Amino acid sequence: MNSLIIGQMVVSGALMGLVYALIAYGFQLTYATSKSINFGQGELVMISAFFSLTLTNLGLPYWAMVPGGLLFGAIMGLVVERAGVRLALEQKSEGWILLTIIIGLFFFSTAENIWGRDDRPFPTPISADPINILGVDVTRLEISVAVGVLGIMGLIELFKRRTLLGKAFEAVSADRDAAELMGISATRTVMLSYGLSGAVAALAGILVSPITTVGPTMASALILKAFSVAVVAGLDSGFGVVLVGMFLGALESLSSFYLGSGWREAPGLILLILALAVRPTGVFGKAIIRKV
Amino acid sequence: MKRILLLRGAELIVFAFLATIPLLVVNPYALGLLTLLAIYGILLIGLDVTVGYLGQINLGHVAFLGLGAYTAGLVVTKLGLGMAPALLASMVVGLLLGGLLALPALRLEGPQFALATLSFAALCTTALNELEGLTGGAQGLSLSRPPVFDHVLTPPLFYWLCMALLAVVWMLMRNLLASQWGRAFEALRDSPIATDAMGVGTYRHKVAAFALGSSLGGLAGGLYAFNFEYLQPQSFTYDLMIILLLGVVLGGRKSLWGAFVGASVIVLLPNLLSNRHLFQIFSGLGFAMALAAGLRGLVKKTTRPFQALAPVVAMGILVVGGLLVENTEDWRKAIFALMLFSVVVGLPEGLMGFLSIFLAKLFRVPHAPLPAPTDIETLLPPRTADGSPLLMLEDLKRHFGGVKAVDGLSLSIRSGSIHGLIGPNGSGKSTLVNVISGLYTPSSGRILLRGAVLPSGSLYRVSQSGVARTFQNLQLFAELTALENVMVALRGVYRSPLPLVLLGLARREERQAQADALCLLDRIGLKDQALTKAKDLTYGAQRFLEVARALARKPDLLILDEPAAGLAHPDVVQLIEIIRRVHRRGISILLIEHHMDVVSELCDLVTVLDGGKVIAEGTPDEVKRDPKVVEAYLGQPASPSEPSHGGVEPLPA
Amino acid sequence: MLVVDDLHGGYGASEVLTGTTLTVKKGTLVALIGANGAGKTTTMRAISGGLKPSHGKVILDGQEVQGLDASRIARLGLAHAPEGRKVFGPLSVEDNLLLGAYGWLPRFFGFHAKAKEDLERVYDLFPKLRDRTKQASGTLSGGEQQMLAIGRALMARPKVMLLDEPSMGLAPVIVQEVFRTIRRLKEEGITLLLVEQFAKSALEVADYAYVMEHGRIAVEGTPDELSRNERVIAAYLG
Repeated sequence: MNSLIIGQMVVSGALMGLVYALIAYGFQLTYATSKSINFGQGELVMISAFFSLTLTNLGLPYWAMVPGGLLFGAIMGLVVERAGVRLALEQKSEGWILLTIIIGLFFFSTAENIWGRDDRPFPTPISADPINILGVDVTRLEISVAVGVLGIMGLIELFKRRTLLGKAFEAVSADRDAAELMGISATRTVMLSYGLSGAVAALAGILVSPITTVGPTMASALILKAFSVAVVAGLDSGFGVVLVGMFLGALESLSSFYLGSGWREAPGLILLILALAVRPTGVFGKAIIRKV
Repeated sequence: MKRILLLRGAELIVFAFLATIPLLVVNPYALGLLTLLAIYGILLIGLDVTVGYLGQINLGHVAFLGLGAYTAGLVVTKLGLGMAPALLASMVVGLLLGGLLALPALRLEGPQFALATLSFAALCTTALNELEGLTGGAQGLSLSRPPVFDHVLTPPLFYWLCMALLAVVWMLMRNLLASQWGRAFEALRDSPIATDAMGVGTYRHKVAAFALGSSLGGLAGGLYAFNFEYLQPQSFTYDLMIILLLGVVLGGRKSLWGAFVGASVIVLLPNLLSNRHLFQIFSGLGFAMALAAGLRGLVKKTTRPFQALAPVVAMGILVVGGLLVENTEDWRKAIFALMLFSVVVGLPEGLMGFLSIFLAKLFRVPHAPLPAPTDIETLLPPRTADGSPLLMLEDLKRHFGGVKAVDGLSLSIRSGSIHGLIGPNGSGKSTLVNVISGLYTPSSGRILLRGAVLPSGSLYRVSQSGVARTFQNLQLFAELTALENVMVALRGVYRSPLPLVLLGLARREERQAQADALCLLDRIGLKDQALTKAKDLTYGAQRFLEVARALARKPDLLILDEPAAGLAHPDVVQLIEIIRRVHRRGISILLIEHHMDVVSELCDLVTVLDGGKVIAEGTPDEVKRDPKVVEAYLGQPASPSEPSHGGVEPLPA
Repeated sequence: MLVVDDLHGGYGASEVLTGTTLTVKKGTLVALIGANGAGKTTTMRAISGGLKPSHGKVILDGQEVQGLDASRIARLGLAHAPEGRKVFGPLSVEDNLLLGAYGWLPRFFGFHAKAKEDLERVYDLFPKLRDRTKQASGTLSGGEQQMLAIGRALMARPKVMLLDEPSMGLAPVIVQEVFRTIRRLKEEGITLLLVEQFAKSALEVADYAYVMEHGRIAVEGTPDELSRNERVIAAYLG
């Protein structure tokens, strides 16, 4: 096989994998503060993408649409937190698993009806013409994905390290009760984490839609892969998700090529089950010393 | 007796009624719906095992429906066999693959488990789609119902078959869940640690439960295939899974009736949605119920404001939506979502849960009378205690990173004695207890029980060796009654093999277990509260219950981990009496305590720990006067200089 | 400054506090001693909001705070250095200290400048922390973490500081250092409520002390009165 073609597959796949990484990063944000994640995150990506599409169709230029889409995503994230997560956290139960699934379903159905069931193209001023770098064709669009993903992750990390609010965020992740004693409201911090997670999901949608089109099915297509990345990398791995995401994307690209497009999903799923099986304490967090 | 008659009577009436349906109903569509009801009933009973009894979100159940369906289809089309082998194959496939998935998946909890089952379901769909040679892929697989005993199964006959199978599954599951198996499932949901410590293997029961539920899913799948006579992978998707969850949660978890009610809802839903008028009535009713329940909860302060109001908002959206949208069919998923949301938040016990409380108040059927308690001499014959060393710890160490919680500890407990273990906070008492009982493995050193090395690192294996314990932070099975808590732990009573249990032929050992458990409850003074749920007992009663439960293990060594913690004085007195009674049976006791009066009253010998090491050992009086012990507890003065100086003097480095 | 009146509360079915009453006057150091399981830490948690009391009052500087969220009570001027120190491991020493002042510092930018004076004050008190200002606090020794926890509480410019078992798990030499620090805090006029397992050390620094037994105050008085009281000794060793 032509190594150049393989290289092409790997690079394109890896760039797509960055999108999975970004969604996984969104999971990390909420998991850090509340040990919960939004099982309906895929739907959140999807409706934010649709909303952004509508903004564009209403005549908003691209660079004004992006913050609008991000804001929408943040608000939706807050809705998820209020409706699906807060009650379960107060009751110290895991009811948020089912509730976030339900909210996701609701978003899905609403999107289907407002925007229809077909996939729609997502216009973007960034060109899809390939540039040849080291023998591999990469489009400006694909590069924009990388820039967007790394950019927002970098920004949020900067926020976490440079602002006091960001440090408070880290504090709640480290020790919720002790943080409360400092005057940091854990509830508000959880809200913030869900808002950020929503914005991140929206950006993922905006970045990926020009390449894959927007449609209701994009939710389920993306979400399992994002789960795989999050679990394999570990929900407290920070930038580890980037590496795992790229790896998964490349793997998918290759398996789609060699085994047929139907098997595209398989590596991610198998990886997920294996990761969960091999690290029994749960890749979600470090080994906990049980106290009785 | 009355209670059982009432319940069985209700079941009989319903099934008898259902059996007569084909004779009354001519409409094939209605018959088809009821056939589907039976199939979904079986499916939901299977799902309830993991969702209701184990308390986990199982997102993979729909995969077993699909696997069962395709298995049956392939057995008939490719192997040319009949219905019975096909259905059997479906069940076996469900059982095996369920067990296989359970092995890794059930090491996980909560979200990870949900994810593992979700990916399994997605993998199955992919496999069904891609293995076209076998399954026909997206084109689908057609099959026809094979004849049974040379009779072609007309719709009425097929309906009877499905209902009969539902009745059989119902009966078998009822018997299973009423036995020790059912208790074990609930126990491991409430406290997996205590379940292992009481000799009921948590992991193996979880795997068994999951495999069982999946095999029922497989069976339902086989019937599904014969019902529709056409299969495609797209039928077994995430959407259907959500609907199944809706059925279980709405109908009521941990309830066979709940599964039935849930199945009815699922089957009737499409009709509900296509008929606009019906939908509006239904949603209006739902809204009214939510409003009533919400207001009641707010006024009585039994629910948080969000819990009371959110279902009202959700149902309100349903009502308004029903008036505004053109085609309710298009909004199916949103409607399911709103319904499921209202139920999960506002009616977590589901319809059956709610109804049973209501019916119980209405009918006030007394519980079946309990058997007479077993004689204590039969249950726990006194052992001869010869004072020889029962438990020996040899240079035991346990580190956590840099922290040396137990640092070279050697100890000997004589059989028939009550041995006290005391020490200030952080001295290593709890860690020591957790190492002995198997929660932690030792970093080095040995533990010998009667001269043989005690298995380490496994609560379950230690419990099998004749060691039982209580927990400093209560680990009761909160949702089980006091009686059931003790029954779970009983040793040597449950001998019937599974088939007998399923057929309901293990009643005698159940009665024996009840009698034995009552005996133990009597010893601690809780006989009258045998049928109270553990979570509803007073704190003192809960502490005593843990002791009774540990006693059910008929142990040689009983470890009591701060049993008097938080007890008021009268309860402490009663606790001392209980421990004395246990001691008279010849059971050796290791007592960890802070309450010095308890230790002084009871202990023959006391070991004092500090910093993970033994600093003193002797009778309670000797130990109290030991200067090292006094120092460990009260602390040294801050500086050797006189307090009246008040100034701060630098100490030599 | 701090008044606790007939406090009842506990965990689930267990009522640990059965009517605790104590007072901390401004500028004094009050010690709360008693055997393990008597309810000292539970009392602290009930005061600072980690636990909602079932009955009774907590009055901070004239304002009733029982039942409020812990973060709210903290912002009203109560600093609690909890049992086990609980520093934010992954964050640096400096970050921990800055977070102590979360209640009054600007949230986004400019907090470094505003906090400078207070940080200096803490570093003067604990020179070892100055050397380790950028170090991850989880890597500090037990004694250093205790200093950090106290420093963190100081940063809040609190009206009342709660110190919960500062000596726990520390070597005797370090414990002495901790108590020297506590003396210095007292000299600066800080109002302190100290919970300690080691009665003798606590009585040496306290202006007034309460002895807890079974969830309520059994004996109270000045350290002089208490050290001669046989009941105090009995409360520990039965």
